[in-house]
Amino acid sequence: MSTYLTKRMLYMLIILFAASLLIFCLYALTPGDFITGNIKLTAERKAELREIYGLNKPVLERYWTWMSNAFHGDFGYSLAQQKPVLQLFGDYIWNSFLLAAVSTFLTWLIAVIIGVISAYKQYSWFDTLVMIAIFAAMSLPSFFIGLFLIKIMAVDLKWLPPGGMTTTGSTAAGFAYFKEVVQHMTLPVIVMTLLGLGSLTRYFRSNMIDVLKQDYIRTARAKGLKERKVLFSHALRNALLPAITLVGFELPALFGGSIIIEQIFNWPGIGQLYMKSFGLRDYPLLMGFTMFLAILTVIGTLLSDILYRVADPRVRL
Amino acid sequence: MRKSTFVLSSLFLTASLLLSACSDNSSPEAASTGTPASSAPGASTNSAATLSPEVVPAGALNEPFTATDLAKLPAAAQKRTDTIIVGLTDPSGAFTPYFQESGYDGNVSSLLYASLVTVDDKGVPTPELAESWEVSDDQLTYTFHLRKDLKFSDGSPLTAEDVAFTWTLQYDKAYDGGSSLPSLKVKGGEAYKAGTAKTVEGIRIIDPQTLSVTLEQPNATALVTLGSNVLSKAYYGKDYKFGQLEYIKKLHEKPLGDGPYTLEKFIPGQEVRLIANPNYFKGKPKTEHFIYKTTSGDAWQFLETGEVDYASFPATEENITKLKELGYVNILPYTPSTYGYMQVNLKHEQLKDKRVRQAIVYGLDRQSIYVDAAEGAGAIANIPASPISWSYTEEGINPYKYDPEQAKKLLDEAGWTVGAGGIREKDGKPLSIHYLASKSKSSDIFIAVAKENFAALGIDFQPEIFADFNSLVSKTESGDYDLVSFSTSMLTDPADGFMQFFDGEITDYDNPKFTELYNKALATTDIEQRKAVYKELYQLFNDELPVIFTNYKKTVYAYNGRIENLSVSPFIGLAGSLPNWTLK
Repeated sequence: MSTYLTKRMLYMLIILFAASLLIFCLYALTPGDFITGNIKLTAERKAELREIYGLNKPVLERYWTWMSNAFHGDFGYSLAQQKPVLQLFGDYIWNSFLLAAVSTFLTWLIAVIIGVISAYKQYSWFDTLVMIAIFAAMSLPSFFIGLFLIKIMAVDLKWLPPGGMTTTGSTAAGFAYFKEVVQHMTLPVIVMTLLGLGSLTRYFRSNMIDVLKQDYIRTARAKGLKERKVLFSHALRNALLPAITLVGFELPALFGGSIIIEQIFNWPGIGQLYMKSFGLRDYPLLMGFTMFLAILTVIGTLLSDILYRVADPRVRL
Repeated sequence: MRKSTFVLSSLFLTASLLLSACSDNSSPEAASTGTPASSAPGASTNSAATLSPEVVPAGALNEPFTATDLAKLPAAAQKRTDTIIVGLTDPSGAFTPYFQESGYDGNVSSLLYASLVTVDDKGVPTPELAESWEVSDDQLTYTFHLRKDLKFSDGSPLTAEDVAFTWTLQYDKAYDGGSSLPSLKVKGGEAYKAGTAKTVEGIRIIDPQTLSVTLEQPNATALVTLGSNVLSKAYYGKDYKFGQLEYIKKLHEKPLGDGPYTLEKFIPGQEVRLIANPNYFKGKPKTEHFIYKTTSGDAWQFLETGEVDYASFPATEENITKLKELGYVNILPYTPSTYGYMQVNLKHEQLKDKRVRQAIVYGLDRQSIYVDAAEGAGAIANIPASPISWSYTEEGINPYKYDPEQAKKLLDEAGWTVGAGGIREKDGKPLSIHYLASKSKSSDIFIAVAKENFAALGIDFQPEIFADFNSLVSKTESGDYDLVSFSTSMLTDPADGFMQFFDGEITDYDNPKFTELYNKALATTDIEQRKAVYKELYQLFNDELPVIFTNYKKTVYAYNGRIENLSVSPFIGLAGSLPNWTLK
């Protein structure tokens, strides 16, 4: 196990290094740079600024500068926001994490429950209706369902706020603040859950159906075990096993923010910030954020491998 | 296996991020919620404008509309007694003037900092922190007299030292902001930048209330550019060493100004909370709290629920009808100080001929493209100035009404004759137009209509659309185009409308008469004299068409009917009237 881990860590470093080079080049080669879009500057001033920012240097030299700074823990200043990149992460990522964590938790919970019930009662009216509903939710575009809910719940009925994370100008603290944030996140969480629910439910349902057909389930039933016990400790545990691989992949999604949802609900998350930075070619921020996601992805895959080993003794690493 | 999965997924990740960038509106022209972004930090205005609503009808709305039924005002807005909330697309938190990259931060800092000189509703420079000023006879030396007892919001005195420090800072070699002050060529500025002089020679402090600045060449825009915001030397200059400006970044979120409001709290991505400044030289503003709320999405939902008191919309008939139906908003029609144009590649043989450029304008149905398809939220432009500018004129200006017959005649005269397949040819080469634009609803409309228009003229039209503004500019710089759609940023002085010809992207328009007139217009600060020169320039450009003028935008501002004393200046936005806003 420990030699395996050492080897994996080494691979991870190589992968991250290669990925950083690739990502840096992709960003650097995208047409236009941070200065290009500023139409108010004279050509002379543009050249001067490129010199100050080092944008006139060869890509590999720029990459090297970035990399050596990053190794010293310096991820640079965002050009557009005029703030250290790490401070911006602190300002925005947790807001995105809050939405993603709650909606991921709800998605998994609901998907497991529905998946188990509809697998157990396969082809029943419940199964059919729920599957139709889930497909419908899945195929709706997120901006449509988001705007629709805002129109109904916020503008017409005034039950929930139309966007943002807190009430503008609010000085609420403690529990009142908590309540305010919960109210504001209700709509975005509903939309994110609805959109994520479909595929996961289908996944659990089909796993469960497979497992229920296994011999050991028949054996368990034959032993005279209670149906509840058969379903939850024998069937469900085995059905969940393949889902462990998914857990690792959720990791970057938890911190990555959602561009569309954040835009519609005016949520102060990192997805929106990333989007704007891309349009502006704010290289330090783009690079820092993409590498952050790359690191999470690598850690996530490692995590799911280890979890798999923990959950299933047959797997050897 | 794992490795390849990762590389694949990271590739996919980057690719999907690249793709999703397509939906982004990052071009400066898309900046629209809230007030007009106060262009380059430092650059404000210098122009006398006459707002004439009869020349500037905004869609279906020609004059301000007053709320009909304030009882309909949502409870959230009804409850506020000492707070006004305005939506602003995306303030980033860099509130130091001259150092901010985003115009939205400029909107915030225009409330935190006052200027030496501002412009009144007609655009004429008026005293603010500077009580008066003199310009020497050779138009090179400007002497400013500050008011007595000026204070920053922390109570410390504001003197000529602070003003001199502010100007000097912009000549530092590490200064990376977008201020236009360095291009004014203050005497000794270059020497200071090079490190060969300890001070900027042209800046002279006469006494704590008086200072003067000398330029190397006359420039009519200097008064307002020099007369911009003042940074406290005691605060911003404490750690200043030549060539070292990193320390200022740490102060961006802790601004110290002298404007009507001071920063109470900045919540990234959510709000900028401001509180009235008791040390403001005109007296404490009437409304205690002012909040800029980040609203990067749709502004409707916030206006309809009373979460914001003020928002801007394109002046389409649909929007105006809907706003009127709300009943509780006052509506102001407004034409931004910009114009839209198509840059022409004058290096290409076919476009060097003036007649071909004129034929394109005659042959494009601009009324359909920019007015009708935009549901009235636009108007046709024929000169490089907005209708609200004091220099605007229609005298001697050819309106280029849609006239395909005239266009065909001009093309015939230029030697382009219809060849095989209906495409015009000259010397065996077909007449084709490679058109570039960034992705937007309006470029979709343009392409749809222009395709037919050009086909009727016998021009081979090849449109190409770019995902974002930066890639469009980059392609333009490569020279592989015939026409590119652009819009100017906010024009303050009429000279700004020509900037791209003079020292910007368009280097191929070489006309000595233009250069002569351009310099003549800047050599004097007398508005009547300048007006006459600009009229001549506009007539020249209207005939020569070194770019193809396309359109003006039209917007409306809708605001809570309880707000009184609100007005919007085309040049300084809300900042001028905001200290007087009250909630009734």
